[in-house]
Amino acid sequence: MIVPMSHILIFSSILFLMGLACVLARRNLIMILIGVEIMLNAVGLTLVGASALWHQVDGQIFVIFLMAMTSAEVSISLAMVVYLQRRKGSINANAFDEMRG
Amino acid sequence: MKSLLFLIPLLPLLCGGINALWGRRLPRRLAESLAVGGVAASFGLTLLLWPLSQGEGTRVTFFTWLHSGTLHVAFDMLFDRLAAPMTLMVTGVSTLIHLYAVGYMEEDEDYARFFSLLNLFVFAMLTITLADNLLLLFLGWEGVGFCSYALIGFWYREEENALAGRKAFLVTRAADVFLGIAILWCFRLFGTLSIDAVNAGAASLPQGTVTLLALCLLAGACGKSAQFPFMSWLPDAMAGPTPVSALIHAATMVTAGVYLLCRLFPLVSLSPVAMAAIAGVGAFTAFYAATCALGQTEIKRVLAYSTMSQVGYMFLAVGAGTVAGAMFHLFVHAFFKALLFMGAGCVIHLLDDERNIFHMGGLARRAPAVFWPFLAGALCLAGAPLTGGFFSKEGILMASFADRTPYYVFLWGLGLFTALLTALYTFRLVYLVFAGEPRQARPQGHLPSLMIWTMFPLAAAALVGGLLNLPPAWGGGEVLRHLLGSLAGAAAELTPTLEWGLTGLAILFFLIGWLFARWQFLPAPKERPTPVRTFFLRGWQADTVIDLAMVQPFRTLAAFFWKGTDEGMIDGLVDGAGLSAQGVGGLLRRMTTGRLSTYVAAFAWGLAAMLGWFLLWTLIK
Repeated sequence: MIVPMSHILIFSSILFLMGLACVLARRNLIMILIGVEIMLNAVGLTLVGASALWHQVDGQIFVIFLMAMTSAEVSISLAMVVYLQRRKGSINANAFDEMRG
Repeated sequence: MKSLLFLIPLLPLLCGGINALWGRRLPRRLAESLAVGGVAASFGLTLLLWPLSQGEGTRVTFFTWLHSGTLHVAFDMLFDRLAAPMTLMVTGVSTLIHLYAVGYMEEDEDYARFFSLLNLFVFAMLTITLADNLLLLFLGWEGVGFCSYALIGFWYREEENALAGRKAFLVTRAADVFLGIAILWCFRLFGTLSIDAVNAGAASLPQGTVTLLALCLLAGACGKSAQFPFMSWLPDAMAGPTPVSALIHAATMVTAGVYLLCRLFPLVSLSPVAMAAIAGVGAFTAFYAATCALGQTEIKRVLAYSTMSQVGYMFLAVGAGTVAGAMFHLFVHAFFKALLFMGAGCVIHLLDDERNIFHMGGLARRAPAVFWPFLAGALCLAGAPLTGGFFSKEGILMASFADRTPYYVFLWGLGLFTALLTALYTFRLVYLVFAGEPRQARPQGHLPSLMIWTMFPLAAAALVGGLLNLPPAWGGGEVLRHLLGSLAGAAAELTPTLEWGLTGLAILFFLIGWLFARWQFLPAPKERPTPVRTFFLRGWQADTVIDLAMVQPFRTLAAFFWKGTDEGMIDGLVDGAGLSAQGVGGLLRRMTTGRLSTYVAAFAWGLAAMLGWFLLWTLIK
């Protein structure tokens, strides 16, 4: 491996934390979705790295699954975002607090 | 023939049951005839079966009521020389009272309820009279209590009447607890509830046990017979219709206590302490009630207190050891007291519900048909020489005097003085109601003839009632004492001189009482309330004392348990648990903001905590 595994792990951790920070800090639903995507990609990167480390193809197959799942998730999420926008005229996550106790 | 005995109590029960179930649908005359007929048939049957009571009496068992281990209680009856005359008196007097009631309740719509209860009352009393075991007797005892409750509060739409019924029920119930204790104790001691076995086995008991048992019986008897300290219900029981008062006072209720003590006399007489207590309670109540009767202004309340006083004499007789004397007075009293109440009912009817004797007057000329029987009853009550009441009262006083111990002689003195008071309040009543000119109340109503002529047989019975047990000194044969035979108790043994002396004294006291009443109440009486009179009117403030001593502490305690324990502690605990759960829930509720960001942040913090923990763990290792 040209790139050491530790670098890959450090990079993907940073990527994951950035995604998490995005999810936590932003209130816009689309930005939250983007954060989730970044986190998923961080995980995908770790899987590819691990696959290369152990010379096993499983990790790469898993990433393909991950991509398929992500595209499905994004299409549903975006559809819901459109629906929520129509319902409340806003995509601010704080506007949807009907489950407040 | 023997099994016909059961019909004596069952006939009134049957007729009462029919009236209770279908009385309202039956024609009125039929319902009334059923009620009267049932009791009258019992009376006839008692006469018919009279021979069965001779010798040792007749015992019949109807069916087994309870059977459990050693407890064996049957519906069994004993028709002996004590029960037979009592049954005859109860059914006879009740028949006349029922007839009178037909006239009295002429305008009342609720006749079915009235007559069925009246019949049940007689049934319950006959059960007491004929019962051969204590539990069956107790059944009748409670039945009498229930019927008196329902009948005293018969006109329950006025709260005062309902309260009087409740008071009678509760006060007698308090005393019944003692009878219940005595019965259970008897079962524990003897293993059986048969009255004969209890009487026979009592001789082998230690003195202290017998005394306590007899005192429990006395307390039970005091409740039903309205003796001190359970007397306060009787004057209030006047709230019921007058035939009910007559029934309670003459035939069915207040005599039950005396009868109980006579029935268990072999047991009771074993304890001199209990005998002294019975005599003391009797003499004191006789005196107490006579003074109270002096202060009363309502015609029926005067009679109520006079009943209490006369029943006190019967207790004195039992305490002095003469069952024959007690039964003699019981019978004569039943005749004249039923008569007096009927007379009072007629007076109240005539005067359109006027009850205050100071508003009456002049009725002797306007209603002679009421006056003469009433006078006969009053003479008996006052103990006028040669009337039944004179002989029966005299017998009791002599029996008390014959004991010769200072205690009994003192009770004799009290009884003699009470006889004076009796004459005084009786003639006060007669003069105020019948003599002189009419005051506020004028006769207006009409009297059904049934109400008039039923009084005459009783008047005759009361006047010649002395023949029942005429002492030898007057040429009589003491029929009742011989009839009772071994059950009669001790006979007074006095020298003829002493006997005549005592009789003379009694006549003298009667005359003093009469003349004093004549002097005081014949010329235009005025009602001046003095402290003493008010004291007597209120029955020595007995109600206030009971209220302070029993009701108020009970209420305080109940309020404590209600407000303090129930509402404060139990409700507090339950409500507190709920409220604290609600409060904690309220605090926790704030965590559920409904905002996505909060939840995600919580996730992140949880993740951070977990990671931090693993890191720490790794470092420690």
